[in-house]
Amino acid sequence: MRGSARTLPAIEVLALLLATALPLILSQFQVIFLTRLLILSLLALSFDFAWGQGGVFSFGQGLFFGLGAYVAALLATRADMTSAFVAIPLAMLAGLVVASLFGGFLLLGRRPASLIYIGMATLAASYAAQRLAAGWSKIGGQNGVSGVPFPTLGGADLEPGRGFYYVALALLVAVYLAFRYLSRSQFGLVLAAARDNESRVGALGYRTAPYKWLVFALAGGVAGLSGGLSAFHEGFAGPNLLGVLTSTQAVLYVLVGGVGTLAGAVGGVFVMEYASLELSTRFASAWPVILGGILLLVIMFLPNGLIGAVISDRARMPTFGDRRAKPKRVPVDVSEEETVGSASA
Amino acid sequence: MDVPRLAGIAFDVLSLSSILVLLVLGMGIIVSMMGIFNLAHGELVLLGAFTVYLAHKVGLGVGLGIVLAPIVVGAAGLLLERSVVRHFYSRPISALLATWAVGMMIRESVRAGLHGRSEVVVAPFSGTFAIGNVYLSQWRVAIVLLTVAVIAASYLLLQRTRVGLQVRATLDNASLARASGIATGRVYALTFAFGSALAGLAGALIVPLFALYADLGVTFLVRSFLAVMVGGVGSFEGPILGAGAVGLGSGVLPWVVAPVLADALVFVIAIALMRFMPNGLVHRG
Repeated sequence: MRGSARTLPAIEVLALLLATALPLILSQFQVIFLTRLLILSLLALSFDFAWGQGGVFSFGQGLFFGLGAYVAALLATRADMTSAFVAIPLAMLAGLVVASLFGGFLLLGRRPASLIYIGMATLAASYAAQRLAAGWSKIGGQNGVSGVPFPTLGGADLEPGRGFYYVALALLVAVYLAFRYLSRSQFGLVLAAARDNESRVGALGYRTAPYKWLVFALAGGVAGLSGGLSAFHEGFAGPNLLGVLTSTQAVLYVLVGGVGTLAGAVGGVFVMEYASLELSTRFASAWPVILGGILLLVIMFLPNGLIGAVISDRARMPTFGDRRAKPKRVPVDVSEEETVGSASA
Repeated sequence: MDVPRLAGIAFDVLSLSSILVLLVLGMGIIVSMMGIFNLAHGELVLLGAFTVYLAHKVGLGVGLGIVLAPIVVGAAGLLLERSVVRHFYSRPISALLATWAVGMMIRESVRAGLHGRSEVVVAPFSGTFAIGNVYLSQWRVAIVLLTVAVIAASYLLLQRTRVGLQVRATLDNASLARASGIATGRVYALTFAFGSALAGLAGALIVPLFALYADLGVTFLVRSFLAVMVGGVGSFEGPILGAGAVGLGSGVLPWVVAPVLADALVFVIAIALMRFMPNGLVHRG
């Protein structure tokens, strides 16, 4: 078995220390680049929480990301509402509300929806939102909303740079801890059980649909938060943020990093974006092809992502009772539906 | 509304539906047969379009290119099934993502090959028919007729031939089919190749209507999947009916509500329909 149960916390603490100290010695350009990665990490976390924890294949996280971006950008440019304490929470709220409505439609109700249906429906919704925004001239159409001013934080402008970096880092850490807590709580235990065998959990008296719905709504809120931050950081919100590209990007980060670990999602963003930055300049036109190839190899040969090579499967699961006890090997049913990041695959 | 205009709209709906049918036929066969949602399908369409462009470029002519496209793309599909898709039959979500990665490689290669430009491919014939006051593009009429022919041929292949019987048997019950001496692995590979060939043909036929650009396939991908799922997975006629329904919605709604809204509304209606009728319009008992 790879790594002990302590490997993951060690990685997390080390990453946090590095993330806190690094900007002090990096250039402005590098800090801005890293801020972008922190914001994208929120997006990746939102997908990882929905799919890796909730087992809801939300293939349309771009919808909530783009929505948050539009809300923040429109508030700032049309209503002069640049206060970070108002615009960013509203972007998050927009994601949360739309995701809870959409998720209620998809997940609640007498008939449970299939995994593939949820994937295709969320992807289609994200695509539809992109087309709607691109054709809607009142919100900028194809050009989107540009020239978003800097957000203000207690009277001062929050310019991209160290200040913005630490705000984004604080939000990322808060979301990470919240998701981490939820996934290791009783709540997370029900979700983990439902991922393994949904009908058995149902037989134990749990209705899993409301759990999944809550996860989906929270993930939508975090994606909205990420989008709102992104609009302020890049000064821009456009239809592509809502669409298939953003949605698949979120999935690919998590896949490369490792599904269901949260740390893997953040790691995936850093690895992929850093590789893109380094390699895209060197092999300009071939890079996207290489990226596709890398993804294919990861999906085929590393079903647990990069982090799967470092930490054990057990570190990703909520535990109950004595943490030091040896895990019992339970024979796993070979079911038709695939389970999340199945190690046996 | 006057009659010629109405007839014009009806023809637009018909030709849009035929294009969608062409696109979803191959996709529907692959989904129904193996439960694989092939996100590289759009790129197989693109590959078909690219084949026609290449044939035109080296002087073989657009007509021959259209004949070659299904053969080339069918071979590509066979390769894709043998190398990648084969590993994912029990893991549909991973299959979704793996085929997306493959699609990305094809799409970006084509983008690099075209240097980011879009290229015009001229149809073999480009005049119009006039029926009274109604003018119909000859190439669109040809697409409608070819679509009917392709549906008929696929139907006959599946229902009337020995290969079709093996395919249907594998679809119904793979282990029983295997026990009866059908090489299901080969059936899967051939079906995937056949579905891919149809995608290639679709790409070859539609490229004169649009232009050849790297995102040609992706444009139709989501719409085609909705058509398959609305129509119903697991039947031959389901995806065709679904494509008709989505085509009808896309053609008629812009006349009822603002076009921008109509475009998104088609997706919303499709998502809702799938939720309430998870088995699709055509349910196979």
